[in-house]
Amino acid sequence: MKQSFFILHRRSGAFFLPAAFAAAALALASLLPASRADETCSSPYLARIEGQEEFLYVWTLGVEGMGDGADKLVTVDVKPGSRTYGKVIASVTVGGRHEAHHGGFTDDRRQLWLAGLESSTIFIFDVHTDPARPRLVKTIDDFARVTGGAVGPHGAYALPGRVLIPCLSNSTDRGGRTALVEFSNEGDFIATHWMPVKGASGVVGAEFADGYGYDARVLPRKNVMLSTSFTGWKNYTRNFGDLVQDAEAVKQMGNSMVLWDFHARQPRKVFHVPGAPLEIRWAWGEKRNHAFTATALTSRLWLCYEDANGEWQTKEVATIGGEGGVLPVDISLSADDRTLFVDCFGDGKCRVFDVSDPHRPREILEQQIGRQLNMVSQSWDGKRLYFSSSLLARWDKGGADNEQFVRAYGWDGRALAPTFELDFTALQLGRPHHMLFGSTKVGQ
Amino acid sequence: MKTNSIVLGLLVAASAAFATPAYQAPAYPVPVPGSYALPIIKRAADGALLDANGDPASLAALTRGRITVLSFIYTQCASPNACPSATGVLWQLNRESAADPALAAALRLVSMSFDPVNDTPDRMAAYSALVAEDPDAAPWHFVTTRSDRELRPILAAYGQAVSKKANPRDPTGPLNHTLRVFLVDAAGNIRNIYSSGTLDVRLILADVRTLMLEAATKPSVATLPSGGN
Repeated sequence: MKQSFFILHRRSGAFFLPAAFAAAALALASLLPASRADETCSSPYLARIEGQEEFLYVWTLGVEGMGDGADKLVTVDVKPGSRTYGKVIASVTVGGRHEAHHGGFTDDRRQLWLAGLESSTIFIFDVHTDPARPRLVKTIDDFARVTGGAVGPHGAYALPGRVLIPCLSNSTDRGGRTALVEFSNEGDFIATHWMPVKGASGVVGAEFADGYGYDARVLPRKNVMLSTSFTGWKNYTRNFGDLVQDAEAVKQMGNSMVLWDFHARQPRKVFHVPGAPLEIRWAWGEKRNHAFTATALTSRLWLCYEDANGEWQTKEVATIGGEGGVLPVDISLSADDRTLFVDCFGDGKCRVFDVSDPHRPREILEQQIGRQLNMVSQSWDGKRLYFSSSLLARWDKGGADNEQFVRAYGWDGRALAPTFELDFTALQLGRPHHMLFGSTKVGQ
Repeated sequence: MKTNSIVLGLLVAASAAFATPAYQAPAYPVPVPGSYALPIIKRAADGALLDANGDPASLAALTRGRITVLSFIYTQCASPNACPSATGVLWQLNRESAADPALAAALRLVSMSFDPVNDTPDRMAAYSALVAEDPDAAPWHFVTTRSDRELRPILAAYGQAVSKKANPRDPTGPLNHTLRVFLVDAAGNIRNIYSSGTLDVRLILADVRTLMLEAATKPSVATLPSGGN
């Protein structure tokens, strides 16, 4: 049978080959996620964990007088049945405080890049050799120089053979004008793409462009990338109480989303999305051409979607937490695109929305997680969520409200049930921020 | 017998294909060649190879003098969005070049195995026989290495992750790997890296033609003396 196929194949001149390869890829690719369990909000180019996550990597801000006072990568054992389940099993200090914030893996998942917002330093960890004990292997400490003036690296997003680093600021005036930057997986600079500014030629909606940046994420099958906008170094390194009293400083916040031609890395359209749109979450479904973001300052949920004419649009689809403002800071979309978890720093609550109809989100749960709440990471099967507490070193709450934790929950579709908790203050670790999944079992 | 396992992977992919609606390229505008930049990512590393005849070859010679699309594969791969897909895309490039003499003269295709134990030169020759040769098309080389020892530095230089699966009888093949296809300019610089999400022949063609336009305007930068075909 195989041999006859081979003969037929050759006689036919192999004209069906590309269609066969491509269609098979299309048909069977949808079967693959069933065997995977990973963060739902990671890059589509990222090699996936096979089975359940085993480690939780927590990029943690150092606190003066607490432990060694330095930023560190904390590894938590989350492997079911492990005798150290729910415990810290490794902690690697990077020396100094850099405003540890976001990170991301290279596409092969062999390196974890962690970014310092204040010092613009990138710390590259080997998480392949021994995923239970990450090892710092390289530091990029000349970021502003090599990128031509971009500062405030905000994580790392896996692209084939390289990482995309959306930035928050620039070295000239330390305001919000900034760029997207690319480095090779080896840590060498490739390119800087400055965010469009008002009047940028050839860009639809250029009147809304403000040059600001925050997150950037790709929908490969549409060749589009979305970026959002926050604020510059001068603001995010300033005491929050002082900042909100400074009317001029408060005006220096991002109000835009940009749709890019991803392959060309060129902006196509700018949307007016007021109030600092932050995290972007693309739907995963093959026919779901939409993404969500939440605006921190106006507490609104926004949808970016492709309309019936193939045009990309944005619209506000829900208010988060009533009219008072609850500072939504992170969102996590389930792998089936039906459930959106929204972390609100202001009141420490996670609000869960049914987004089966993305144009009409419906809140289905509001649960207190802590006195302050920041990041959320969700497993691919939607059964486990991990929450962390810290926003920024100078924006976290004070006194008793300054809880610093990682809290794990189970989700059954209706309720969040606590599974374990780590008090990062009692453990003398610091302020936990971004959480990423690790494993000894990584597939393609 | 030696072709059986090669064909097996293709059979899996092709069988699935016939049971599904015809493939349609994703609907989005493809950027115009020359309207965007392809910054240099890094140098394309050299390494000792064996061609499909079992003769020594060098990777440097196969990544200089022409624009090269280099695909790392292994012939037992039956993961539909991995090696079979990449080989299918190279096949499409091969066919496109057959109808475009300028493209055929500028382009080279290389399928390189990262499984030297199983992918012997004979096996690569059998794999190459699955695609019809066309003298008008861009040359397509099927190469392997003599040993893991000679392969490892090449994989490291290109950042091609490969590891053995816990289940060697996994129906999609015994190796875990990221899908990597490299675009290398005539001077030996890697200018793009494609993975499953970006492996669209239209985008690769736009990139190749962007480099052809670049070579036409900056011949001293993008073209070195011929390194063969």
